[in-house]
Amino acid sequence: MDKLVVAAASVVSEADARAARLGTRFGRLDLSSRLALLAVEALGVDFDALPRDRVGICLATRAGSLPTDIDYWNGRDAPGGPSPTLFAYTLPSAAIGEIAIRHRLTGPSLCLVGENTGALAEAVLLIRRGEVEACLCVECNLVTPALARMIQLPPAARACALFLQRSGDGLRALRENDRDVESLCVLLCPPKSAT
Amino acid sequence: MNPLVNELKAKIVALFKLEDVSPDQIDDNAPLFGAGLELDSIDALELVVMLERDYGIVIKDIEEGRPAFQSVRTLAEFIRARGSS
Repeated sequence: MDKLVVAAASVVSEADARAARLGTRFGRLDLSSRLALLAVEALGVDFDALPRDRVGICLATRAGSLPTDIDYWNGRDAPGGPSPTLFAYTLPSAAIGEIAIRHRLTGPSLCLVGENTGALAEAVLLIRRGEVEACLCVECNLVTPALARMIQLPPAARACALFLQRSGDGLRALRENDRDVESLCVLLCPPKSAT
Repeated sequence: MNPLVNELKAKIVALFKLEDVSPDQIDDNAPLFGAGLELDSIDALELVVMLERDYGIVIKDIEEGRPAFQSVRTLAEFIRARGSS
């Protein structure tokens, strides 16, 4: 069996997402997509060196699109109706699309919603089954203050990403944007079995 | 200088959160969609919402708005023709 390695890892915060400049479209994305996209960008992966149809994307999102759903709902009474741009992000998997568009990735993708989703295990399985050569594994933990009040969870805004591949040089050093390794641990920890 | 054109440029930069683009960098006649500002079909809908919200102009058929959305200049002419500026 081929050896799988974590070729790169990153963690980004809301402050990073607000300060980042990733092209004209970046500011139009919802915060969840900006966090996920920036976490992937911070990996520093050279996608030109990879077959783009053989790179998977596995996204774990703690609250799905609920933060954006709330913003969209709150705009329902505005003249002209709620924002069409926001509507495009009222899907938990929207960030996958943004990552795929930016890096022109056409491999399989998976979106898992909730806590302890086991996203890393799913990414490993995608590779082990031979569906992909490498896989982006992204965990987005966005609980906006409005959502926090609704679901009784503390606010959070960060994302982390891992790049798994069959072989490589191993984990690179953490970079400027990698402020918090706690999120990485969420991704790396196996899901808790139901008791 | 056309105040409405300048107003629209400022609105477009704010509405689409265009990074590293200032209103005065937008050419009056530059295409809004495709190249240039990279606006897309969802952004066209956002412009329709903006016209209703800020100018009271309701576009029920996107074909009606198509000529208006060619450039900032054509958009300003459309608003003037509707008597909303």
